[in-house]
Amino acid sequence: MNFFKALIDGVREVNRKYAKPEVETTLFVRICLLSLRIYLIALVGLMIFKFITTWKK
Amino acid sequence: MSRARRRLLLFLAVLGPGVIVMVADNDAGGITTYTVTGAKYGMHLLWFLILLGPVAYYVQEMTVRLGAVTKRGHAEAIFRAFGRFWGWFSLLDLVLTDWLTMITEFVGMTAAMSIFHIPPLLTVVCCWLIMGAMILTGRYWTWEKIALLFCAINLIYIPAAFLVHPTLHDLLYNSFVPHFPPGGFTNDLFFLLMANVGTTIAPWMLFFQQSSVVDKGLVEKDVKFGKLDTGFGAVLTVVVAVVLIIVCGQLLNGATVDDAAAAATQIMPTSRVIGTLIAIGLFDAGLLGAICISLASSWAFGEVFGWAHSLNKKVKEAPWFYAYYFFDLLLAGTVVLIPRAPLVLITLFVQVIATTLLPPALVFLILLLNDKKTMGARVNTRWQNIVNISIVLVIIVLSTLYGISAVFPNLFGNQ
Repeated sequence: MNFFKALIDGVREVNRKYAKPEVETTLFVRICLLSLRIYLIALVGLMIFKFITTWKK
Repeated sequence: MSRARRRLLLFLAVLGPGVIVMVADNDAGGITTYTVTGAKYGMHLLWFLILLGPVAYYVQEMTVRLGAVTKRGHAEAIFRAFGRFWGWFSLLDLVLTDWLTMITEFVGMTAAMSIFHIPPLLTVVCCWLIMGAMILTGRYWTWEKIALLFCAINLIYIPAAFLVHPTLHDLLYNSFVPHFPPGGFTNDLFFLLMANVGTTIAPWMLFFQQSSVVDKGLVEKDVKFGKLDTGFGAVLTVVVAVVLIIVCGQLLNGATVDDAAAAATQIMPTSRVIGTLIAIGLFDAGLLGAICISLASSWAFGEVFGWAHSLNKKVKEAPWFYAYYFFDLLLAGTVVLIPRAPLVLITLFVQVIATTLLPPALVFLILLLNDKKTMGARVNTRWQNIVNISIVLVIIVLSTLYGISAVFPNLFGNQ
């Protein structure tokens, strides 16, 4: 139990420490991060599609 | 002491992270890709492999600058710059990718040793002992010297190329005249080209080299030699790839080969020496890959959670760092020993999950190298941006297609 408590505390500490991104948020940075999110959503969507179609077969 | 001698000594002192990451890039999966490429297309794709050398150099060179300037590993740099969402995404994806890739390294090592009739259990236990002993020395420099020794063993393929006697004309033509093999540009060829790109740039390499630069204690003034180290490593990685393609192109041209161990077995009747060299090289490649990949994850966890995370620390000074390293090692090795473990599925997963991590990791690298607050005078120049962004875009497109084609094999036609 102590291990899991320490782990959760550690994760909370990391979340607190890195809550605010430090990179200068220029237009280029925003476009890149938005593109990455769209890319990942599309990729995960494809994987889910593959999973469902394989499962239905 | 003369200036040239002093510079040589400085270079030798800095030599390490670049050579190790580049040679380890030719891991068990990489060796398999090269043997399949050689067997299927002969020496026709040598020019493509040679082109991948500069690509790997330009990407990895950025991690040297980033590590030397910020004194932070890649995982910590992402958390700090882009916040917790992208930080956790990168860390967890890295951990999963690394663990699955580690399994493929153990698969390669056990397959290589089974050629010499050594049972998988014995191979795995010996690997655990070697990898454990390497990091328990308590000194980064000792670990690095042993890793460099394994890099030197990776060059065992070179004599094999001389034994197959390729003609100079074929060698020069296929190396320096870009062309497609007979049959033209087919789906099979496209898949193999993507596989070669995929094996040249892997997410763990970015995390490993940056953390390694930090752990070694390189600083801004060492960047020049760090780049040389990376360039030297890029040459070695291309040499190994080219040599393997020459050997398999000469001895297995047109044969169907599934992996490097199968290539070694098929070559044995023709040349026992070359078959043996390929098997030893495959084992070494898997071992080197596993050493670097498990360290990449341990360093990343240590950086983010604030644990002591240096090879210069003793076990009792950095218990979590070493605990994670051994946990990773034991878990990956154990999976290989499970009868009927879904190893093919795991290999497929590696390709897919690496595809989700590589583009973000590369984009973050470009953004960090353009952040003046982070990089100061070492920020990317316009020329570096043109080259690096072009490379990153091409890699993203190819690795994405590779990942998708692994899940949907018929999407681009039959393979």
